[in-house]
Amino acid sequence: MEQLVPEKAKISPFLVFFLVHTMQFGVGVLGYQRIIAMTAGYDAWISVLFAGLSIHIIVWMMYKILETTEGDIITAQSFVFGNKIGKLLSVPFVIYFLLIADTILRTYIEVIQVWMFQDMSTFWYSLAFCVLAIYIIFGGFRTVTGVAFFGVVLPAYLLFSFFFTIPYADIKNLQPIFDHSIKDLVMASYHMSLTYLGYEILLFFYPYIKDPQKSKKWAHLGVLFTTFLYTSLTLLTFAYFSEGQLQKSIWATLTMWKIVEMPFVERFEYIGIANWNIVILPNFCIALWCASRILKRVTKIKQKHGVILTSLIVLITINLFKSRVQINTLIDYTGKIAFYINYGYIPLLFFLVLIVKKVKKK
Amino acid sequence: MGWFSKKHEQQVDRESLEQYLERSKDYKKVSYTNQPTNNQFTLSFISTLIDESILQNNALPYLLEKPFEKIEDLKKLVAMTDVQISDDPSVIEQKLFNGYALLTLESDQKHFAFLAVQKEIVRSVTTPEVEFSVIGPKEAFVESIDQNVNLIRKRLPVKELISEELTIGSLSKTKISILYLDGIVDPENVKTVIERLKNIEFDAITDSSYIVQLICDNKNSPFPQLLDSERPDRVTAILAEGKIAIFVDGSPHALITPTTLVEFFGSFEDYFLNWMLSSFFRLIRLFAVAFSILITPVYVATLSYHYELIPKDLMNTLVTSRREIPLPPILEALFLELTIELLREAGARLPTKVGQTIGIVGGIVIGTASVEAGLTSNVLLIIVALAALASFTTPVYKMGNAIRLLRFPFLFFAELWGLLGIVFCFCLLMTHLLRLTSLNRPFLEPIYPPRVTDLKDSLIRLPFSKQSMRPQTLRTQNPVRFSPPGKKSKKSDIDE
Repeated sequence: MEQLVPEKAKISPFLVFFLVHTMQFGVGVLGYQRIIAMTAGYDAWISVLFAGLSIHIIVWMMYKILETTEGDIITAQSFVFGNKIGKLLSVPFVIYFLLIADTILRTYIEVIQVWMFQDMSTFWYSLAFCVLAIYIIFGGFRTVTGVAFFGVVLPAYLLFSFFFTIPYADIKNLQPIFDHSIKDLVMASYHMSLTYLGYEILLFFYPYIKDPQKSKKWAHLGVLFTTFLYTSLTLLTFAYFSEGQLQKSIWATLTMWKIVEMPFVERFEYIGIANWNIVILPNFCIALWCASRILKRVTKIKQKHGVILTSLIVLITINLFKSRVQINTLIDYTGKIAFYINYGYIPLLFFLVLIVKKVKKK
Repeated sequence: MGWFSKKHEQQVDRESLEQYLERSKDYKKVSYTNQPTNNQFTLSFISTLIDESILQNNALPYLLEKPFEKIEDLKKLVAMTDVQISDDPSVIEQKLFNGYALLTLESDQKHFAFLAVQKEIVRSVTTPEVEFSVIGPKEAFVESIDQNVNLIRKRLPVKELISEELTIGSLSKTKISILYLDGIVDPENVKTVIERLKNIEFDAITDSSYIVQLICDNKNSPFPQLLDSERPDRVTAILAEGKIAIFVDGSPHALITPTTLVEFFGSFEDYFLNWMLSSFFRLIRLFAVAFSILITPVYVATLSYHYELIPKDLMNTLVTSRREIPLPPILEALFLELTIELLREAGARLPTKVGQTIGIVGGIVIGTASVEAGLTSNVLLIIVALAALASFTTPVYKMGNAIRLLRFPFLFFAELWGLLGIVFCFCLLMTHLLRLTSLNRPFLEPIYPPRVTDLKDSLIRLPFSKQSMRPQTLRTQNPVRFSPPGKKSKKSDIDE
């Protein structure tokens, strides 16, 4: 087995918690509530819980794949399909991660443009963001993980701001429970799963984990923590808004911040949005890192050059999405692709790996 | 006849060296006669470098009155510990300039002796001025490396304290000592330090700050990556932790490596106080630094872009104070910040510490005048003055300087993108700190990589009984400092 990653570049197993959690918890938080409530009404929190728990099965499968092949997804694909096809199959992932990077950054900039600066230039802010991301990725995976760590720890204080909404929340909004069909709940779970996405990065950075066995628990805990946060935020949102009101708020989380009032701060959502920069940064960096990492594994392009290349692509393509409709289309398509990868391709790969392993043993 | 020509060459070498030396007026060459044997001998030395009284009291009486034939007799003759005999002319220059006197016999030109008669001009040990503490030891390092190592050795009288020496600088030939505790320190670290010191290419090293800049991991960082201290007690404590101290001859500051960011916010006085007090002070300092960097940019950001952020009542105050001001917030802030920087720089250049006081008083006068003239708002004046005050709380001077600089990029980004810009600039700073290393060890440790056990002496300081382990980040050979006191049996109850 070739050594994929030098020992000194590896990270402690418990940091997987932050990587997995931060990737799941991104710009979607600001306004996922309306979409799930559209199909399943105020029963949607069950879907949130259900979708969150379903991820554990996928994570379990991913670990099985990675453990059998002792590498990242590219080794797994080569294991199943042979070297050439395995590498060829990895190329779409570059596009996938570029799409994710585009989605994250464009959505965030849209939020800024709607809430803070109407005429902020998409290009200049993306440029600054890309330069920052390149600076981070040049520091190696440990720096990327560090940004992920701070991306979780530093904005954590924002969670307390949601306590301000509790006096205005009415738990009766949620009643009656179970007044929607199972089909509606499943549909809402599908929509919710788009917000949950991101844990598939595990397939790419797995070789960077020191003692990967120990990281299993932390990956699951990361997912569990995300599920917990989303579920409680959903419950709080539903209790705070009436159903009709929620349908009118595209960014329900931001609207909730409006109620926060302190002697020296009004309009708390400004602080929230600015701070969300720290939350978004690791997501964007990890996506770029994954894209450039795959490029390196498949084509021998140096990761340094790969990062610059991928961020240039992001910089050019992000300017193509201008109107709300275009951005929405981007989000929809990225979500769909991600859904098929996570709930379609990964289980398929899982079974294929199991079969090939049995065949090879014989 | 190879040997003859070689000897001849040496002769020529010595003569040309002598001719060269005679160009300096403080080079002296004196001939004497030994009275009992009538042997001629010569002493040459650089008069400014030697202590003539040693020569007169401990060497010359014996040399003149006691019989001596051969150069080997010298060691028994003179009342000195450091007498070296050599036949290698290439060392002459170096020895002469290290304060030795060269002795040659007329009868034996091949051998010669060096007598150690250095003049030691040493400032006496004084109280620390940069890292002053109200309680605790009052000794500070001086410019002599021997005196400084002596201060450490007195505090750590064990054979494990190793002192390695190097000479660096093609012109200055500066003596450098590397001190560490063998059996505790990570040998890998010592190797890296010595390697980096040996690789230094520089002509004149006159202070330890040169070394800091020459061996640090990232030369393009405003942050100091080696801790410098003038307190022997602090260096001793840090050596016992398993770090390495570097002493530079001529510098009253020892360098400590590897170090972490949080160490720069710890004053050594923290260890003299109860753990609760010192933890509180450390947190205050951290808050002060954050405040000092961020408050003016936040003012600029909110007043330029986000005045909705400010509640109505507070807005009233701000509007009243800014009503007459013709300048936009960024210019107003820059004007005041630059004034403060000017005063600080002027205060630092004035001869005495009085200069600083005058500077601050001047600041208040200028500040009040500029408010009355309607150039700046008094709210901003308060903010800037507080920020300047807060930045003085950093216990390490070099870190204070770095923080002075940091405010300006934040101001720039605040003007550009408001609060968003501040957070963006913060992300830049965070990344920079994440990427920094000190001796290849992460600079942000124990915050990232998070090591809970090392938090005991970082942002807070837990009681000494909880400090039984050395910091993990140092990878010491012996991670246990002392065995922690045995836990009391759980049975003990009130009044038992």
